[in-house]
Amino acid sequence: MDRAVTVVPEAGLHARPASRFVQTANEFECDLRVGPADESATLVNARSMLAVTGLGVEHGETVSIVADGDDAEAALNALESVLSTEEV
Amino acid sequence: MRTLTGISVTPLSGVGTVQWYDPAVELPETTDSEAAGPESELAAFEHARDVAREELTAERERTAKRIGEAEAEVFEAHLEFLDDPQITEDVTAAVDEGSTATQAVAETFDSYVEQFEGMEGRFAERAADLRDLRDRLLRILTDSEHTDLSTLPEGTVLVAEDLTPSDTARLDPDAVVGLATVGGGRTSHSAIFARSLAIPAVVDIGNALFDVDDGTTVLVDGEAGAVVIDPDTGHDQAATATVEIKPDPVSTVDGRAIEVAANVGTIEELTPAVERGADGIGLFRTEFLFLDRETPPTEDEQYETYRAALEAFPDSRVIVRTLDVGGDKPISYLDLPDEENPFLGARGIRLSLEENTALFEAQLRALLRAAADGAGDLGVMFPMVTTVAELDRVLELVASVDNDLEREDVTHAVPELGVMVETPAAVFCAHELAERVEFLSIGTNDLTQYVMAASRGTETVTDLHDPLYPAVLRAIDRTVREGHRSDAWVGVCGEMAGEPELMTLLVGLGVDELSMSAVTIPSVKAAVAGIDSEAARALARAVLTAETRAAIRDRLQLG
Repeated sequence: MDRAVTVVPEAGLHARPASRFVQTANEFECDLRVGPADESATLVNARSMLAVTGLGVEHGETVSIVADGDDAEAALNALESVLSTEEV
Repeated sequence: MRTLTGISVTPLSGVGTVQWYDPAVELPETTDSEAAGPESELAAFEHARDVAREELTAERERTAKRIGEAEAEVFEAHLEFLDDPQITEDVTAAVDEGSTATQAVAETFDSYVEQFEGMEGRFAERAADLRDLRDRLLRILTDSEHTDLSTLPEGTVLVAEDLTPSDTARLDPDAVVGLATVGGGRTSHSAIFARSLAIPAVVDIGNALFDVDDGTTVLVDGEAGAVVIDPDTGHDQAATATVEIKPDPVSTVDGRAIEVAANVGTIEELTPAVERGADGIGLFRTEFLFLDRETPPTEDEQYETYRAALEAFPDSRVIVRTLDVGGDKPISYLDLPDEENPFLGARGIRLSLEENTALFEAQLRALLRAAADGAGDLGVMFPMVTTVAELDRVLELVASVDNDLEREDVTHAVPELGVMVETPAAVFCAHELAERVEFLSIGTNDLTQYVMAASRGTETVTDLHDPLYPAVLRAIDRTVREGHRSDAWVGVCGEMAGEPELMTLLVGLGVDELSMSAVTIPSVKAAVAGIDSEAARALARAVLTAETRAAIRDRLQLG
């Protein structure tokens, strides 16, 4: 199961939004990977701060999140909500 | 003689011998076939991670204590990356394909370092963190010995391509007289650490630094941002003048004399104190004479030590504090009780008066004998005084030792006497105490601890252990006023005296003497010379009416 989400926070997938993204991913059991929404791009472990920030995704870019497991749908919903929330 | 220039990080200077430091780990030439099998290679990786975690945790604690809580956060980032699943995944995959743990770690980290190096801003900092962590893991995996940065010989100028925060946090400021690096910037973590440790430092010197060999004598001039190779004497003096080591007493802009003295804890610290231009010793601790031995020091042994201190400062004052120990510092030949709360127990003058009068009398005899020698002017101060009766008892003992020496026909003199103000009790009785002695010396670290009921060592209350709370500043103000009302002069010894922003406040509160670790003396003297005492007084008045620490920090413009 996968979903394409456009990154809203001003900082992109850096610093606090990235940290919140990784923490949210850690709340779920399923396998979670994330990467640029580009068929040929390599996806990385969504639970790794290093890998997620290493993507260098900026505000306004679209990422693809792939989930595999029982709670996949819930995980995708939660991660989508992190990425589409303006940082407070 | 040649001069290289860079960016100044610490406005202090030091002359010493170059020692190059290369944190990079030499990797053994191995081929995949040398891997001992995925299982044991993985076990080696797990073990290295455990060791690294322990090291990082210890370094984080040490940094928090020596440098600051915020600075210690850099180690949090390292710890976060240490267990990052992506790294574990990559290392495991490489090991499964036949790599050794060492190769797998090197390859995995290198690819991330490269990736982050190509990015901007704070991502570049992550690259530095990852390099640091990679080198740590490789060092552990290959059992490599690093130059132990915490035990460098005295007079070392450490030279490196760059230094990581963990390298810098390990440096012993008593041994390392300077730092010079090829790269680095003024606001890097390493630079902040060097400044906090008061190590003269110049960074971003460039490739020319590579030509400076081990063993060369260099001057690190942190004021000019320069490294002078093989400085000749003339240049050395010129450079020293630029860092404002002032051997003479200083006054404020409007002519108020402020004595800037050194805190000294061992006999070895006398020379650096003289070299730094101290106006004397404001606190000569005597614990080193008594600790780590089987029997107490003899009267003669003590006499020689006090004389050595006086001779180091032939024209100025040396203030010796009598033995200040208690249940927190074990002394084998004293039967000190185990106390539930040693900081509120038998320590300082209490111990000298109640438990060990003989030991105290021997110290007083040695001090009175030393006071008779022409060199310098001796002052003696008594720690942890809380009542007027205690002080009266001390003064009786001094009089009786004076009588004994007179009767025995031993050359002696009664030195200037003073009281340490470190407890709220002493603050409230400052007037009566000061009437009996020549001076008061405020020990700001202990005073803060007792006024705020917050120990320095307890992590959960470290925030309360801050002299910038109104209660502590009002205690200092009261002590100075009461001391002056009794015609005693008032000094401050403690970390607070050495911080330029707070020093102006102390001068404004009317303090006559500031005593601090020798390393900060040149910058404090330079700062004192720029103070207008009327403006400092106005600042102190404004601070004393503030109701909260936040308001005080605001008035001191401390962000």
